[in-house]
Amino acid sequence: MNKQIRRLAVALLACYLVLFVQLNVLAVGRQQELNADPRNNRQTERDFNRPRGAIVAADGTVLARSVPTTRGDQFKYQREYPTGDLFGNVTGYYTFSFGSTQLELTQNDVLMGDTDEQKLRAIGGLFSGTDTTGSVVLSMRPDVQQVAADALGSREGSVVVMNPHTGAVIAMISNPRYNPADVAVHNSKRAEEVLMFLNALPGKPLLANAYQERYMPGSSFKVITTSIAFENGVTALDRQFPPSKEYVPPQTTDPIQNFGGTVCGGSMVEVFYRSCNIPFAQLAIELGPEKMVEGTKKWGIGEKVPIDLPAPAASSFGEVADFTDQLPLLAIGGFGQGSTTMVPLHMALVASAIANGGVMMKPHVVDATLAHDGGVLSRTTPSVWKTPIAATTAETLTTLMIGVVNQGTGKPMQLDGGIQAAAKTGTAQLNTTGPERSNAWIIGFAPATDPQYAIAVVLKGGPNDEISAGTGGKLAGPIAKTVLDYLFAHPSATGG
Amino acid sequence: MSSSPIAAARRRTELGLIVMAATITGAAYTLASLGKNAVIPPILVPFLIIVLGLLVVAHVANRVLAKGADGTILPLAAMLHGIGYVIIARLSERSAGLQTTWTFVAILAYVATLVIIQRAGDLARYQWSFLAVGAALLLLPLVPGIGNSKGGARIWVSLGPINFQPGEFAKIALALFFAGYLADHRELIASGAWRVGPFHLPEPRQLLPIALAWGFAVVVMVAEQDLGSSLLFFTLFVVMMWVSTERASYLVIGLVLFSGAAFAAWKLFDHVKTRVAIWRNPWPQYSGKGYQVVQAMFAFANGGTGGTGLGLGSPNKIPVAKTDFIFAAIGEELGLLGTTAILIGFLLMIGGGLRIAIRADRPFDKLLATGLTTIVGMQAFIIIGGVTRVVPLTGIALPFVSYGGSSLLANYVLLALLIRVSDSTARRLGETPNELTTQERLKAYRQRRAAAKVLP
Repeated sequence: MNKQIRRLAVALLACYLVLFVQLNVLAVGRQQELNADPRNNRQTERDFNRPRGAIVAADGTVLARSVPTTRGDQFKYQREYPTGDLFGNVTGYYTFSFGSTQLELTQNDVLMGDTDEQKLRAIGGLFSGTDTTGSVVLSMRPDVQQVAADALGSREGSVVVMNPHTGAVIAMISNPRYNPADVAVHNSKRAEEVLMFLNALPGKPLLANAYQERYMPGSSFKVITTSIAFENGVTALDRQFPPSKEYVPPQTTDPIQNFGGTVCGGSMVEVFYRSCNIPFAQLAIELGPEKMVEGTKKWGIGEKVPIDLPAPAASSFGEVADFTDQLPLLAIGGFGQGSTTMVPLHMALVASAIANGGVMMKPHVVDATLAHDGGVLSRTTPSVWKTPIAATTAETLTTLMIGVVNQGTGKPMQLDGGIQAAAKTGTAQLNTTGPERSNAWIIGFAPATDPQYAIAVVLKGGPNDEISAGTGGKLAGPIAKTVLDYLFAHPSATGG
Repeated sequence: MSSSPIAAARRRTELGLIVMAATITGAAYTLASLGKNAVIPPILVPFLIIVLGLLVVAHVANRVLAKGADGTILPLAAMLHGIGYVIIARLSERSAGLQTTWTFVAILAYVATLVIIQRAGDLARYQWSFLAVGAALLLLPLVPGIGNSKGGARIWVSLGPINFQPGEFAKIALALFFAGYLADHRELIASGAWRVGPFHLPEPRQLLPIALAWGFAVVVMVAEQDLGSSLLFFTLFVVMMWVSTERASYLVIGLVLFSGAAFAAWKLFDHVKTRVAIWRNPWPQYSGKGYQVVQAMFAFANGGTGGTGLGLGSPNKIPVAKTDFIFAAIGEELGLLGTTAILIGFLLMIGGGLRIAIRADRPFDKLLATGLTTIVGMQAFIIIGGVTRVVPLTGIALPFVSYGGSSLLANYVLLALLIRVSDSTARRLGETPNELTTQERLKAYRQRRAAAKVLP
């Protein structure tokens, strides 16, 4: 019987070896996968009892931080957002039951001190229990953000200001917005109620409209049509467009009209600053679907805007196949109507590219990530996203856009102190029947000769008392002017 | 009372190991309390005294009643019990209080077993009684009025204020019966007078009682929907048949029977199908019956190699963490290192039990030690394998570790029987003086008195 008993011992040993192997699989092999499972909130629970680093603006203003809670709270730390709703769409929120958004999501590892480099640095302080959390420093300026917010007031819309040479976002705000502190409460039921309320609101406050939403661009899109026309040599600055009231594109008998059915024409410069529609419809038709679509793709239209924030939207113009048998659609697309939609941030990039000699930089809000001791973990180096146009085309467009500010629809954007701005306005008509609604746009940069700031402003589809080609400039222009005037008066932040 | 050097050395080793087990338990208890509430528990000192005191009682019982017994399996049980206790206390203070009471009762039962059974061989005589007791215990939960279900399985009996799981005790009774019957009939059974194809089978007459006992146990367990226990009884039966007859054909027959039974169970019972489906892929049933298995997997992953630290994990998220899923709670807070320690603990205990079986010089002792060790080893494997998804989950207690009075009590009785077998062997091998037991002295005294009457 002893032989059998020994074999039994070996058999049981083998059984336990299988258990040991499986334990290794669960605790080591599949550890990351299981810990990352969205249904597993153990890690979150632990994270909520650990310190978490701050998100700070360019001038050091704290936008998000964790503070120890008083006794009796469910967790040891509470996330705070000292600037309220001003940066909600950039920092995002950090909740226990509903995940996190924006930078709280993408920079989670840095903030928790969980990047490999931070863990390596932490080894020295392993037994002294040093705080290893990191912080995220933005390129954004809270003072400019506040000025943009005040200029927007209660109107629905977005403002994006950036450095055209680096792609650094200086301000980016949209209305309606929300205060992440309302969502970050530890009472999960309360947080759920707030989220449900915010989700039910019509203006989608939880969505960062400036980079996650797209709007019909109207005449501001003429910048792109014109640039493609110049790149392909189908127009010149001295080209004359005979004044006309109607233009019948191919494949239809339905004529295209200028804004308000006016007679509009003149030189390329003139039709650009007066924002006639017919010349740009003609340019689009002359270019044809292939060249037009290829040109918009060079501008990155159709691709997600590559900002360092989660879930950016993509602007849209259309594919060649959409237009071959629908040339009227291509014609109205030439002046930003029809199926054309643009992300506000993308429009700021369009202005930036013209300001930057035809080179479009990748937009970013994070300037650097820092370790707890202040050592730099990473710093964002400016990089090129697209080179949509040649430098000469950029120069030509600058000339055209100066005309808009000096003589045309962009007059409301004439800056203080004689600083020359370059701009293009847009009024996108959203409906043909019922009360008139339109998106009011302005995009531009200043100073025109040595651009320092590029801006895009959109006011979303509100009813307008009187719609005209100048509506975009009248409504959006003053906002752009306020923000740019402030920037030139305060070239660097002087504290929150 | 005289003692031999070998026996004294064994008892010294035992005491040393027990002090270590108590130290580990005390340290773990302190850490768990620090981790959970950031304070050193005020009841630490009384707690340590009680733990150490109870273990010392068991140790003293060995010194007095089983001098020559193996010195490692009691400390191993103490360590497993201690770690289990710390996890239970960390999960629920109320349960810890009750578990303390059960510990008292279990140690008392351990001592009582050693007092009542002074020679392992005495038990062989009562094999039929054990069969009857085992059968009665198995049937008890099915009796209307006192039997009741918890979590699907009808394995509980309520007698007034006392709730217990008779199955935990039935397995010991059946091991005793199998050992007794097989020790008596193993040669006849092994001779295999009855040929069926390539197999030499014993005559049905020889096999009948044991097959009946096994079939009865399995049928009752299936009726109670206690799959883990069914599997345990089955393994116990096959292993004891194989070891006693020394014929591997019993393993083959066992495997065939098992496959058939498992397939039939899978075909017939929806809850078996569900268990198997969850074992293969628990994710689709995350919010249903797969929840606890997934939570256990999350717990192991959260624990990683070193664990979150006692009191610092979230083992309360695992349903029934203190009983069936206690191993996952250990995995979360003590990590791979902790669970490996538990596995090694069980392996050493299996090693100790089987060493006792090998050293035993009588078939009954050998078979009893083998059976009891198989029970502990397989039961731990079934539940750990279920929790880690090595085998389909079947709810059963992790011996010595899980919360629960019946399980603790039964396992300490089982441990006492192993100690008794070990001690009886040591006596026969002359490792310790083979003194007369109290019962034997009493018997001898009565015989002298009787003789004195007859022959004045």
